[in-house]
Amino acid sequence: MSQQVIRIVRPTKIELIRLRRRLAIARRLHKVLKDRLVILTQEFISLIKDALSLRKEIHKGLDLCDEKLAKALSVSTLREVEVLATTLYESFQVIVGSRVSAGVRVPLLDIEFSEYSNALTKKPLSLIDAARCYRSIIEKIAKLTEIEYSIYRIGAEVSRVKRRVNALEYILIPRLINTIKFLEMKFEEREREDKIRLKKVKELLLRRAGG
Amino acid sequence: MLEDEKLLERYLSEELKVVNRSLPIKRKTLSELLREEYPHVLTRDGGIHMFRKSELRLAYELLGSELASKLYLPIILEVKTEFKETVMCVNDAVAAKLVAKILGLKYYELPLYIYPKQLSVLRRSIGTLIHYAFTFS
Repeated sequence: MSQQVIRIVRPTKIELIRLRRRLAIARRLHKVLKDRLVILTQEFISLIKDALSLRKEIHKGLDLCDEKLAKALSVSTLREVEVLATTLYESFQVIVGSRVSAGVRVPLLDIEFSEYSNALTKKPLSLIDAARCYRSIIEKIAKLTEIEYSIYRIGAEVSRVKRRVNALEYILIPRLINTIKFLEMKFEEREREDKIRLKKVKELLLRRAGG
Repeated sequence: MLEDEKLLERYLSEELKVVNRSLPIKRKTLSELLREEYPHVLTRDGGIHMFRKSELRLAYELLGSELASKLYLPIILEVKTEFKETVMCVNDAVAAKLVAKILGLKYYELPLYIYPKQLSVLRRSIGTLIHYAFTFS
């Protein structure tokens, strides 16, 4: 914590009032930033958890899908699989947008598939199963992309806000407190000096009047 | 040192502008957003805030058609800076009903206070439907 004192040109009462006002503002700012930091950190941690679990799910899912595809290939030919892959979806749309999370702009990815109504009719069940499995993997990959980029953006913001919070907590606020304390001590000292001076003057006047 | 102080103060006053600059200019109702192809609202900084369709559908399922036209999105979570701990509150009755349903709260009163631990639950289910606003007393 900073032990330094802000350099003041003239130690006056007005300066003390100004400093107290500055301290109040600094404390309010500190609270606002700290609240924002709490929200951002919460978001950051839950995003990391999501990313980790999603990565695991994708890896497991890919293994499962490969198994399903192998099963499908045992009942249908490679040509059939290729035909299904190219004719399964009428359209495949990736919506790329942005959203705001605690003041940080993060990406938003949404995938929309529109299947042909009769694409999966008269197809072996194992093939349908494999197709559905790969579709879910693609959705998860899009989600993971969004999450990982959000982690990067929010992480950068967390470190930025943290620097500000620390600057306030360990530099500005302690300096203001120290300066206020210094000024108060200065005024007390001045008051004591004045009192002693008055006493001395009074004594002097009494001595003169007596003499 | 005096120059440093001024610089720091300028930085910090800028910081306050940053936190609320991404608030929406005009909010839209849930039913309006469900009709849009790309559901979004414009924000004060000139950007857009998009909503995930699956989250909109979840909100619709939880509230029903009648309340869908009364729910204005995004839901504003007011961060109360005057409290010692980080606390957020929802003042809108319909929004509070949705939030309470997601959090599994049977009894609640307005304003509905939300704590950081509950945020992750809320973020997972309706992450794009919520927005934070910092209020100063």
